[in-house]
Amino acid sequence: MSSSFEKNKYWKSISDYNNSPESIKAKHDEFLEGVVDNFDSSKLSGMSRRKFLAVLSSSAALATTACSDYRDKGEIIPYNKRPEEILPGEANYYASTCTACSLACGILIKTREGRPIKIDGNPDHPVNKGKICAKGQSNILSLYDPERLKEPKFGNQTISWEEADFKVIEALNNAVKYNKQIVIFTDKIFSPTLKKLLNDFSVKYPTTKVYSYSLVNDKNKRDAWFESYGSYEIPSVKWNEAEIILSLDFDFLGNEGNFVENMRLFSEKREVVKKLDVNRLYVAEGRFSATGMMADYRLRISPNQQLEFIYAIINELSDAKVISVDTAVKNLVSKYSVEKFGSKEKINNLLKDLSQHKGKSIIQAGESLSKDVHIAVNYLNELLGNNNLYDWENLDSYYQIASAKEIEELIDDMNSEKVDVLIHLNSNPVFNLPQSFKYKEALKKVKNVITLTEAENETSYSSNITLPINHILESWGDAFNKTNVYSTLQPVINPIFNTRQKESILLSWINQKYDVNDFRLYLINNFNELIYNKLKPLTDQKTFWQTTLHDGVVKFEGDSTPKKFNTSSLSKLNNTNNKESFTLHLTESYYIGDGKFANNGWLQETPHPVTKVTWDNYAAISPKLAKKLNVEINDLVEITHNNQKVILPVMVQPGMSDNIIHTELGYGRSIIGEVGKDVGVNVIPLISKDLSLIVENVSVKKVDGKYQLVSTQEHHSLDDTFVKDLHRVRKIIQEGTVEEYKKNPKFLHEEKHELVSITREHEYKGNKWAMAIDLNKCTSCSACITSCNVENNIPVVGKDQVAVGREMQWMRIDRYYSGTPEEPIVSNQPMLCQHCDNAPCENVCPVNATNHSEDGLNQMVYNRCVGTRYCSNNCPYKVRRYNFFNFRDHFEDSYYENNLTAMVHNPEVTVRSRGVMEKCTFCVQRIMEARSNAIRDGKPLNGNDIKTACQVACPTNAISFGDANDINSEVAKLRKHDLSYHVLEELNVKPNVTYIAKLRNTHSEGVI
Amino acid sequence: MKRTVLDYALKIRLPLTLFVIAVSFILTFYISRAERDGVGYSPEQPINYSHKLHAGQMNIDCKYCHVGTEKGRHALVPSANICMNCHTLARKDRPEIIKLKKYYDEGTPIPWKRIHKIPDYAYFNHSVHVNKGIQCETCHGDVKQMEVVSQVKAWTMTACLDCHRQPEKFVPYVKEIKKGPENCWACHR
Repeated sequence: MSSSFEKNKYWKSISDYNNSPESIKAKHDEFLEGVVDNFDSSKLSGMSRRKFLAVLSSSAALATTACSDYRDKGEIIPYNKRPEEILPGEANYYASTCTACSLACGILIKTREGRPIKIDGNPDHPVNKGKICAKGQSNILSLYDPERLKEPKFGNQTISWEEADFKVIEALNNAVKYNKQIVIFTDKIFSPTLKKLLNDFSVKYPTTKVYSYSLVNDKNKRDAWFESYGSYEIPSVKWNEAEIILSLDFDFLGNEGNFVENMRLFSEKREVVKKLDVNRLYVAEGRFSATGMMADYRLRISPNQQLEFIYAIINELSDAKVISVDTAVKNLVSKYSVEKFGSKEKINNLLKDLSQHKGKSIIQAGESLSKDVHIAVNYLNELLGNNNLYDWENLDSYYQIASAKEIEELIDDMNSEKVDVLIHLNSNPVFNLPQSFKYKEALKKVKNVITLTEAENETSYSSNITLPINHILESWGDAFNKTNVYSTLQPVINPIFNTRQKESILLSWINQKYDVNDFRLYLINNFNELIYNKLKPLTDQKTFWQTTLHDGVVKFEGDSTPKKFNTSSLSKLNNTNNKESFTLHLTESYYIGDGKFANNGWLQETPHPVTKVTWDNYAAISPKLAKKLNVEINDLVEITHNNQKVILPVMVQPGMSDNIIHTELGYGRSIIGEVGKDVGVNVIPLISKDLSLIVENVSVKKVDGKYQLVSTQEHHSLDDTFVKDLHRVRKIIQEGTVEEYKKNPKFLHEEKHELVSITREHEYKGNKWAMAIDLNKCTSCSACITSCNVENNIPVVGKDQVAVGREMQWMRIDRYYSGTPEEPIVSNQPMLCQHCDNAPCENVCPVNATNHSEDGLNQMVYNRCVGTRYCSNNCPYKVRRYNFFNFRDHFEDSYYENNLTAMVHNPEVTVRSRGVMEKCTFCVQRIMEARSNAIRDGKPLNGNDIKTACQVACPTNAISFGDANDINSEVAKLRKHDLSYHVLEELNVKPNVTYIAKLRNTHSEGVI
Repeated sequence: MKRTVLDYALKIRLPLTLFVIAVSFILTFYISRAERDGVGYSPEQPINYSHKLHAGQMNIDCKYCHVGTEKGRHALVPSANICMNCHTLARKDRPEIIKLKKYYDEGTPIPWKRIHKIPDYAYFNHSVHVNKGIQCETCHGDVKQMEVVSQVKAWTMTACLDCHRQPEKFVPYVKEIKKGPENCWACHR
């Protein structure tokens, strides 16, 4: 082992770091306390065993003899007229566009027998290239949500669409007649056809005003870009060419910017297995984000100090004559210095790197930071010549967001009864607007409030008319992903309930009549105008539309001339307010978004990338601040701002700034389905009327009481009671630095000794399935986990069950800290069944329900399993999951056990019931499918044809899968690479998941 | 020594009772075996369709109606529109065809009684077997001679494994056939 690791000490949480008794106990015990219910014999039924068996056998005998036709096997119901393209048992794929957020990634929807069962990225899409995030993957569950709105409603009454349309059209006409406003309050609009439709609506009803609103947006960044370059369309960054990256609180690998594209491009420059020319990531942030976990150097700078920090960098670089700064700016920045922002060594490295890599480095600031920071960043990038990393061919398309001032005007109009009709178009302002606007109260002054929504929400409860709209998988539509990338949406299933798509509803109000085909024709017309006429392809309109719909996307040449930097924007730069106030930093939840996905159990249960907490938001504070406030994890704190109070549980998060609190938005929905109701705390009331997500001058104090946050991190721990540094000693995490690797490529394997097996080795003559995971690329985004959930019918277990360690996800991403609680370094490791050649689980199964196949898979056979859990006990990796209940039946009074939600299940995978063990299968159903295809085509089975669900989903391509016996396969090559290792190698269980050790690109040879 | 009642009970009555129980159990077990395995099950179908006439006498290929056998998991029970390929013209006057036409015109699917069934936890794939050259008769029996289809072979895991272990014995007509997989995940997953 290399010398660098001796300093290293890996720990998983603060209590682990301090070696608290609870933490030791948790690691020592296989199952957490409470995992197995306590048994109280007095509560059992009084019936004797003998009597019970007698009744049981006699009723069984009765049942078998009394049933008349015991041989009956039911019926086979074929189609009456089978649609040509549907072959039962075979999947169909349709290209469409994801609308889970405004990125509008291309998606490929897998349907079986006409029902959608999985959403993956569209591999032909030029931007997301076959990858989508966890939200997009899990969105399929929302289609089958039993609590979707099923019928139009007038108050609490169900009405017909005709009645609803009549009422609305009457109201609209009256509003125009009496010159009253019609307001359409919508979510972000990225569909050009919806934009046109809204224009047409305004033409038909001239008093219409449209407000587009989203609490989390990149308005500051866009506005700054407009000041600097005179355009709202921001070019993508060529992350794959950047050698030095400085992120100022910009979670570009988490959920800001086009993060799916960013992750792919960033990881292209982290291919340490191919070339050592890797980028170096500096992250300056106060919270601990997913991007922060990937940092080579991390600086703790709270969001309200970022302006000072960037001014200080400009100042230092200009002093060092690296850049020549405008005199006015120089005057502004000259008083700032970098000293207070971190250790001298780190800062010097940063300044040196920025000056040495002019034109090959990039600085980017977070979306919640002020316009000033963004202008300063644009200016510095310009001075350093980094503007040649802007990809002017790919511009993020612009969508307008209403400013805080406009919203206030709207509310004034509402209060003064100027607004007669208010249409909420898939938006939820009662929840999403800070309470200080008093939107809900203002709504009472509006005569007709109409809400178009998929499910009941806070806004629909304050509406007169609530209209149910289609899920995206039932809708037509289009979107601009980039200004030159146009993609289409097509329905893959008929509307399940009596719903209409939102565009159709608006169109029917314009046309005064409804036809289901109207919007499709409108869309095609607009497509012809917008795209066909522009591109003038050689085919006719119909064919071109069909081809576009088939591909899901069309890309064309856009205007790619680089814009000139506008120095006048520098006059907009302000002084910093230099006050060091206590700040609350709010960010969007990684998985449930702004609350839109709060009723999606899969997303609620996906562990937070950093803290691994599920089913909650919390106040993340630094250990030092926790000490100051005298709180520990699970204590409660009260945060006060502008007379608004919110009580939140505390999460002590290592590596945070000491003067900020970080919390996620989207939680605390009050009117929503059973799953999302009252999950977490709504922190939107704390936001001021300026809508800034950085709330300064908050006060915080400890309050009485306790709360239980549940995280998946302390579960499935490895037994390290006796040795503190077990993760290091047992080489679960192995890593080094680029410098170290350059010097000694074999540094990982120096202390390796030969392992002797006491049993005969089994030979694998045919295929041998294996996986390799590159830890350099894993950002812990959890797209793999959600993809696995959907593919393998993983149930939602609920918070109470996660608390006792019964979560069912087959894959988890372990997060280890090293270093100190102030400056931790994070190592992420996806952990799944390792399919060991000498699997310890197999030896202990009394019924041979888990055993090995000839192609190297560790098989788990549900119909043999009797549930002894010996296998899980004997698994060194803790990757086996036991069905303590029939979780579909157990969760929230069988919320997901109904005929509708059952449609989401993958028919190729058994839905497991209570009492059986399960685990990762390496997607055996996909292996079998490839095998049957190979037999059909008369070819040998090729491992490269098989892609596991996690591999397909991974935005950074960190996972590869294939045949280890095929020497040309990627996996076989990675298994032999110098940086490859197996977790717990010395057990000689011979795992088939190979990890590629992480190399940190620091200046020194040591990790810390 | 005097014979007691106990002697009689222990030496004659008990063994005799046990013997009768054992024999009747063993007999029932073997005699009912076929029935329990579903062999001989031939339920009444909604339409009195004759495989003997179509597949036997007229020699229509199985795969003409049971589409998908080469492409995927299922060998489909034909949708009514396949029947109507011929029966829009052929034999329109027969009572069974009138029944069929009624189903077709009303758009209701025909509820055929299921004869062959594999448990839910086993994933059988037709295409793998058919593309290897295994004939339908090997598992389904000589349907061409059946007026009413019935199950002729046991549909058990042993039946699958027997053939997977010794294919040369069960499908001797397939040249160069390798053993089928015997691992659990080949069928159960």
